[in-house]
Amino acid sequence: MSAANQQPLLSVRDLKVHFPIYGGVLRKQVGTVKAVDGVSFDLAPGEVLGLVGESGSGKTTVGRAISNILRAMSPDVVLGGEATINHEGQTAQLNDLKRSEMLPWRAKVQMIFQDPFSSLNPRMTVQQLIERPMELHLDLSSAERKERVAYLLDRVGLQPEYAERYPHEFSGGQRQRIGIARALSTNPTLIIADEPVSALDVSVQAQVINLMAELREEFGLTYLFVAHDLAIVYHIADRIAVMYLGDIVEIGSADQVYNDPKHPYTRALLSSVPQPDPRHDTSGRIRLEGDIPSPLAKPSGCGFRTRCPIAKDSCAEEAPEWLELGEGRGVGCPHTSEL
Amino acid sequence: MSDIQNNEASDAPAEAPLSVLQRRWKKFKTLKRGWYSFQILVFLYLASFLLPFLVSSDALCVRYQGEWHFPVFGGYHQARDFGQDQVGEVSWRDLQEQYYFESEDDFVLLPPYPYNPLENLLHESNLKGQPPHAPNAYHILGTDDRGRDVFARLIYGFRTSITFALGVIIISYIIGMTVGACFGYFSGRVDFWGQRLVEIWSGLPFLYTIIIISSIVKPGMWLLILLLALFRWVGISFYMRGEFYREKSKDYVAAAIAQGESHRSIMFRHILPNGLTPVISFAPFAVVVTISSLVSLDYLGFGLPAPTPSWGELVNQGLENITAWHLVFFPLSALFITLLLVVFIGEAVREAFDPKVFSRLR
Repeated sequence: MSAANQQPLLSVRDLKVHFPIYGGVLRKQVGTVKAVDGVSFDLAPGEVLGLVGESGSGKTTVGRAISNILRAMSPDVVLGGEATINHEGQTAQLNDLKRSEMLPWRAKVQMIFQDPFSSLNPRMTVQQLIERPMELHLDLSSAERKERVAYLLDRVGLQPEYAERYPHEFSGGQRQRIGIARALSTNPTLIIADEPVSALDVSVQAQVINLMAELREEFGLTYLFVAHDLAIVYHIADRIAVMYLGDIVEIGSADQVYNDPKHPYTRALLSSVPQPDPRHDTSGRIRLEGDIPSPLAKPSGCGFRTRCPIAKDSCAEEAPEWLELGEGRGVGCPHTSEL
Repeated sequence: MSDIQNNEASDAPAEAPLSVLQRRWKKFKTLKRGWYSFQILVFLYLASFLLPFLVSSDALCVRYQGEWHFPVFGGYHQARDFGQDQVGEVSWRDLQEQYYFESEDDFVLLPPYPYNPLENLLHESNLKGQPPHAPNAYHILGTDDRGRDVFARLIYGFRTSITFALGVIIISYIIGMTVGACFGYFSGRVDFWGQRLVEIWSGLPFLYTIIIISSIVKPGMWLLILLLALFRWVGISFYMRGEFYREKSKDYVAAAIAQGESHRSIMFRHILPNGLTPVISFAPFAVVVTISSLVSLDYLGFGLPAPTPSWGELVNQGLENITAWHLVFFPLSALFITLLLVVFIGEAVREAFDPKVFSRLR
């Protein structure tokens, strides 16, 4: 928040991720899944941006496009727009780099994954898992690497003696800690956390979130924190961006978005957050009808109009205007005053 | 908070952690039938490399007029140099008899079974009448229709069969795993067009190709291994492709990409160890198939060149001399027992790799 005037660490402009769909004997392109369709945001150094949205909104894809692993995993993908990273005077266009040009940035941009069970290679010991990125990026002797693995394990709250064990010997929370230690091993500046706690028990979620907050202070990290749980994002994020069907519909500081939502979708999302008080009045709760539309056949105009309580005829005709509300606040709905 | 976490893991057994493969090996050893079959086959195969010392017509060691000779290590030994009055090479069995009667100091030490798989025994005094001869005390499994010792041929044929099967499997697995890994990993266009090429390749009729090639060159053992491997890799490439497609979508591959690993490193260091299950569980059955195909090729006459001791050739002789029971019974029993042992191994390997037993590892 405080760093709003600085040059952003990561600046994403009009990011598009389209997956072509092939069909028939001749493998002609029969359609396009517009998973992400024109997303823009800035991420200041040291900031935590929470990216929220329901399943299928493209939030995970944004993280994977920025970390440049999408292109390697699905060669057909069409990437558009820019994701620029600024670090120590160096600038790079992440989604445009060749493999060899990307290599030095790999150390700076690391990921934490959602599923702690599939994100650790079951055939590698903890030592090998955490050591491998160091072998690739840091010039350390094997004794120094071993020392650093022990240090990182200690730092994420695991005993250094666990280094020789295999991932299946750990619980979900412990595995996620190993994943965090692996992400930290190359001294990154930007960490893309892809729903890092969604797969964990609620009691463990809080531990991991607090650990991530501690590590942010200690290592000066910047997080792009992808999640679908608004309460968790509110707890850790400085700013929140809400995604719906491949677009950002609202962005602003965590307080503003959480306490004064401007977009009808954000309102619906917030009113769906469970309240611990059983006597809490749920009559005013906004219930959305139906499912998120398929990104294969997006509605014309505003993507949210099919489920929007204040939709008008004009919403079907053209894409909604983006309203800048000042202080980095923005909302993708021109009728927001009617809420 | 970390104390709660740590206590949880310290409940795990205190012994050294085992990798998944180590656990499966341990499990395999508990499956007695497969484990004993494995031990028997490995012992027999390793012992078969000592065959020149066990089953051979060359003497192990000879003492003649105060000098020591070791014919088992090769070299040409003229009959006259050892006091035999015949032209050409020494007959060590005759020489042993000769020294036994004539000399006190000279002697010949023969291997335990002093017959060669290639030598013609028609002049032997202990064989009467026309070949094939029925088993007797000297030739425990009798002789074939050219008067060669069946036991010697069977036991050398065992070594040939297993070497052949291992050769074919190693080469075809290397090709098949690499090709399948590339298709599965790179997917997209590489996979689509690669698969079409593989389909064309697998449409080539194997037997005709072998017949045509053997009409041009007489295939030796290694050419035959290579040819068979070139036709056998297709199956395993499909399994590898499937494994790579499945494993590729898992997050640990995304993590490897995010770490900046090279394609080759991701394929062979990260994905391959997780995709080995079908490959390893199919290997014993591939041994069965390969041994059988060598037998059938030899049987049809397109296999190993003529004097090579091979099981298919023996089975063929059994068919031609159906009345000589030992030529039918012994080669087929040897084939049956070997294949049975390999199937037992395969069964145990499959069970050891069954994900249901180790479901928490997956």
